[in-house]
Amino acid sequence: MIWFAIVGSAVATYLTRSLPFALALRPRPPAAASRYFEALPVAIIAALVGPAVIAPGGTLTHGAEPLAATLVVATVVWRRSLLAGVIVGVAAVALLRLV
Amino acid sequence: MERTGRGEAARLAIGEGWPVMGTTIVVGTTFGVVARQAGLEPIEIAAMSLLVFAGAAEFVMVRLFAEGAAAPLVIATVLFLNLRHLLMATSLRQHFMRLTLTQRLAAAFFLTDESFAMTTSHFRRGGRTLTYYVTFAVALFILWNLATLAGIALGNTIGEPRRFGIDFAITATFIGIVVLAVRRPADVAVAVVAAAIAGALALAGASTIAVITAGALAPAIAVFARK
Repeated sequence: MIWFAIVGSAVATYLTRSLPFALALRPRPPAAASRYFEALPVAIIAALVGPAVIAPGGTLTHGAEPLAATLVVATVVWRRSLLAGVIVGVAAVALLRLV
Repeated sequence: MERTGRGEAARLAIGEGWPVMGTTIVVGTTFGVVARQAGLEPIEIAAMSLLVFAGAAEFVMVRLFAEGAAAPLVIATVLFLNLRHLLMATSLRQHFMRLTLTQRLAAAFFLTDESFAMTTSHFRRGGRTLTYYVTFAVALFILWNLATLAGIALGNTIGEPRRFGIDFAITATFIGIVVLAVRRPADVAVAVVAAAIAGALALAGASTIAVITAGALAPAIAVFARK
């Protein structure tokens, strides 16, 4: 089952990369479609964050995760660095869970 | 002349691209660790980086596997997440049409957000060879896979992840990716709404469909936003 998912995901991903190189698609998609597609990655990645922050382990958070998440946002806005955000986030959540 | 031009383009790709390559190593290692902690087998994790080669999608897959999502749901979510490649490849197509079909199909495999962004900027500055793209994109592929392997090895040595907050590394990575990707106010609205919908669905016990549902709905805000 997991291998089916991995190979299927690989094929699906490759199709999105290769179709425009193989076929002549419309050179300019409608503006509304472009805006939708461009917002998709942000939406899907943010959708992954929601459950992990609001409901870690499937139950309502005790507050450590939302607080740590806020610190990560502030760190990345300030330093523009993914690594700094990850270090601050991991350290913050480890400490906050002790409280 | 052509030879020199290519050598220069290759050096330029490495010279300008190293910060992105450094990030790729860090995120790739994180991926290996997180995937191992989530209980995936080393061979499965290595295969994901080798075959799928799409950072965000691979993280999403780990989360969905950990929640026991069925394969079709995993594939559909990954397909949705990667639809943006259609736009990137469409935009690069004019520069790639000088290659043979086989070369184009090979080059397409290595297309990522990073290689698209770097190559587009190279062409805008008057770059002409595809050597820049090939050098940068293939280098990222190699680094991503090596970093994944390093992460798998590292993941084996870390014990209980929750104790050290390591389980939060993946969430912090996602938050960072979203923050760095924000370009317009509408992006912030999209991100907040997507996170809220997905969080609510997860609380309601629908965690496997939370990502694809919230991910598909929230971009509508960007369609109707003025800016």
